[in-house]
Amino acid sequence: MRKTTLMVALAALVAASPALAQEITVWDFKSGDPSLAAYFDKVKNDFEVGHKGVTVKYVMQPHDQYYTLLGTALSSNAGPDVFLMNGGALAKSRVPSLLKLDDKAGGLIKTLTGLDEFKGPDGGVYGLPITLQGHVVYYNKKLYKDAGLDPEKPPVTWAELQKVCEAFKAKGKVPCFIMGNKEGYGAEFFLSSIAATSLTAQEQTDFASGKLKWSSPQMKAILQAWVDTGKAGWYEKGANSTAKFMDEYEGFMRGDGANTIGLLSDVAHWKQFGDMLGAENVGAFRHPSPTIAADKTAGEPKIPIAGGIGYGVNKNSKNVDLAVALVEEFAAADPIKVFVASAGVVPANTAVDLSGISSPSLKSIQGWLTTSVAPTAHANSSSEELEEWHRQSQKLLNGETTVDAAAAALDVVQAKVKPQK
Amino acid sequence: MPGAGKRQKRALWIASIPMAVLALSCVYPVFFAINNALKSNKAYILDRLSLAYEPTLANFVQAWTRSHLNEYFINSVVVTVGAVLLLLFVSSISGFALACLRFPYRRLLFAIILASLMIPIQVVLVPFYRTVIALDLVNTRIGLIISYTAFFLPFSVYMMTAFYSGLPRELIEAARIDGARFSQVWWHVMLPLGRPALITLGILNTLYCWNDVLISLLVLQDQRTLMVGIAALRGEYTTNVPLLSAGLVLAAAPIVILYVFFQRQIVSGIAVGAVKG
Amino acid sequence: MTTPDSSTGASRLRTASKSRRAEMRFAYLFLLPALLLVVVFRIFPLLWGFAISFTDATGVAPSHFIGIANYVQAVSDPNFRDSIVNTLFLLATLPIWVALPMVLAILIDQGVPGGKLFRAVYFFPAVLSSVIIGSIFNVVLRYDGSFNAFLGAIGIDAVDWLGSSTTALLSLLAVQFWSTFGMGVLIFLAGLSTVPKDMVEAARLDGAKMWQIWLHVIIPSLRPIIEFSAVVTTIGVLTSMFGLIYVLTAGGPGTSTTLPEFLIWLEQGKLNQPAYAAAISMMLFVIMAGLAWLQIRIMSRNTNL
Repeated sequence: MRKTTLMVALAALVAASPALAQEITVWDFKSGDPSLAAYFDKVKNDFEVGHKGVTVKYVMQPHDQYYTLLGTALSSNAGPDVFLMNGGALAKSRVPSLLKLDDKAGGLIKTLTGLDEFKGPDGGVYGLPITLQGHVVYYNKKLYKDAGLDPEKPPVTWAELQKVCEAFKAKGKVPCFIMGNKEGYGAEFFLSSIAATSLTAQEQTDFASGKLKWSSPQMKAILQAWVDTGKAGWYEKGANSTAKFMDEYEGFMRGDGANTIGLLSDVAHWKQFGDMLGAENVGAFRHPSPTIAADKTAGEPKIPIAGGIGYGVNKNSKNVDLAVALVEEFAAADPIKVFVASAGVVPANTAVDLSGISSPSLKSIQGWLTTSVAPTAHANSSSEELEEWHRQSQKLLNGETTVDAAAAALDVVQAKVKPQK
Repeated sequence: MPGAGKRQKRALWIASIPMAVLALSCVYPVFFAINNALKSNKAYILDRLSLAYEPTLANFVQAWTRSHLNEYFINSVVVTVGAVLLLLFVSSISGFALACLRFPYRRLLFAIILASLMIPIQVVLVPFYRTVIALDLVNTRIGLIISYTAFFLPFSVYMMTAFYSGLPRELIEAARIDGARFSQVWWHVMLPLGRPALITLGILNTLYCWNDVLISLLVLQDQRTLMVGIAALRGEYTTNVPLLSAGLVLAAAPIVILYVFFQRQIVSGIAVGAVKG
Repeated sequence: MTTPDSSTGASRLRTASKSRRAEMRFAYLFLLPALLLVVVFRIFPLLWGFAISFTDATGVAPSHFIGIANYVQAVSDPNFRDSIVNTLFLLATLPIWVALPMVLAILIDQGVPGGKLFRAVYFFPAVLSSVIIGSIFNVVLRYDGSFNAFLGAIGIDAVDWLGSSTTALLSLLAVQFWSTFGMGVLIFLAGLSTVPKDMVEAARLDGAKMWQIWLHVIIPSLRPIIEFSAVVTTIGVLTSMFGLIYVLTAGGPGTSTTLPEFLIWLEQGKLNQPAYAAAISMMLFVIMAGLAWLQIRIMSRNTNL
């Protein structure tokens, strides 16, 4: 009967201390992923040890309904204390529900990069990024060798990239780029990769604010490059019916294509490709651009970098201070190190030590992080413009519209979302 | 069929060929799901169509434990059984009233129920969620049972009404002229007569409740049902198809067994015997 | 009508006003639970949504009344217009969605060889989630997929089924049909069980041909079920295709597979415009209600009920 006694005692204990038990609810779209279990467990354990009587509860929502549910919950005053967001347009549209973190987490903020994607219109920080996101081109060294190319000398100029693609076209076995544009993400990543080198810093700012129109010569050059590369046969047939996640990347991992514009964090990156193809067979290069901005030099392409995902605090949370502390825990160096090791991310926290990881492509990326960084054009665009770009890019690739018509349609959306005086 | 002519027999044989092809296409996804559930994710990526040459049960184990499907299973069973029983009872009495009884505003009431069938869930999401919160039903199983009943009821009432309308008139009238009270007519005549439709509705509603993700996501956030657990296996970008397949095979098994067991009952015609009696 | 008058029996009953009142009382009592549930959980939220559609609510800031601005915006929104055009195309295919399951059900009921097996198997796709079905058809329908490989083997050129604007919607509809027709078969089988077998037998003994029996005995007695199926299928294809659209085409290429339902999801979730989404939903609701009304009118005109 000892068990019963214990149970009664436990029940009494629980009943006697309801005031002490506090629960911090966290919404995300990641914690169900088995490969990230170590990170989420560490944050929860560390936090509960440091804050007696507090429990952290993860509520994972499927990503396709995440923002619908989050909006519904927040507007019904039933939202979580802390929630995960994608940096950029999606995070910025939630700023009215978020707590400004500058004063409360100022110390940690100093060690973080990728903050711009979590800033409100007032310049305050409304979410702490945990990962950096960005785009480089990953390539399959074996396929380069097959096509008679030097796998250790990836292209750095547009002309060199053209030669690479011509070589693959002549060989006729695999497409130069494996492209997934079913959801329009292929075009999104292409846009940012080219814009990183073809737009000046000022033009990037102007594009984000809506001053630089889609019909400007600079933007139209990107649209034109999209059409030209399609016509030149860089991509496999049926790119508009290939999902970027994960059909395209799985194709790359099977060796069905020589190059692909990938990510730095989460998936479709150096770690995942390395695991499938062998780290020594995967290389990375910065996507060259046909036009070079006035403040950049040819042969020195830039890579678009932005805050990836990050946590924010619901300003209506009943436990604001605990919630802020938890968000800091999520972004702190120790747990993030676990995240990096298990999932393969480039962390937003500069205090995280990456020296233990041996991946040639990560080495290159780390070098570029200090020398070749540019804003991510699509992350600074509005959701409305991006949706329109998805649609127009598909039509452009199918040859159903012209660059002028597409730019005009995009201008209309841009003018509506970002009205200019 | 006894007495069927030779030509009809031949026609039926010919018709069975395309029907068999269709049947084959319906079996394929089941094979696809089971086959891929036995592969590792890497093997799936390398070849999505091939046989699982190194079968592993790891996905099933992972889906069952790491994704808490074992805990969610009981929630799904309780909620589905509760909602389906409630649905069958309410739709059977409503269908009887709408199809067989005479009363003022019958068409109006029928129209209200029919109209509610046409409300897309996306639009009522926020107000519905707030209604559930206001009634203090959020995070309770009974709340989810009532929500399911409310959402799938219009379809069920409509189907029962249509079904009862299609019954031979004499059946109902005979019962009514006998002077039986309406509750007895319902119990002794309409409920047994309605069996094929009720079983069909039972199967369909079980499927709807069991497979629902959206309503359950809103109402039962603390405990979760099976399909929500499985939907959560999909990451932001990636879908681990083998793991998802394993979860789905586990989740679909009870439904398939139930269906195969009950579907015979639908076709066993009741009308012949009833008319003669 | 779906709720036909039971004229002769009813008139006999009507002679006794006492039993008529009892009938009324029972009818209302029997309908009460259904009405209560429907009004509280569906009609009331609908009216609430209707109210939201006249505001600028974003879910975060306090909202203001802005009149019919959301509706005006919808009319000038090219995406909304395209989604309506796609809907019209979809509606044109509706007769197939009703007729094919009916024919299959009748064949099974008539004892087609293997019918029992078909009956069990046709339901399988409906049990599986749209994610699995999407994964399969992604592999089957992609440009270098198995379907094109099959076509290539018989000398037909490859088509980008899901990636070309001309075929994407058609492919999507075919997959949706395939994944739901089993339910239609099931519903028609239930309806067929009410067709008196001796009527069919009598017609056959009179020397009626098979198609005559179908046309004059079986199909007329299925009328309420056909009407039901038409209405439910219309509503189904307009409100339950999100899962497949999301997995198979994401609304593209361009807007070629954007249906109102997908647009509602996009505006409400990704673009955080619940009020605009509510306005589109209201219009979708009106379209569906109008169609259902029309279908019921057409069906009941052809009946003698």
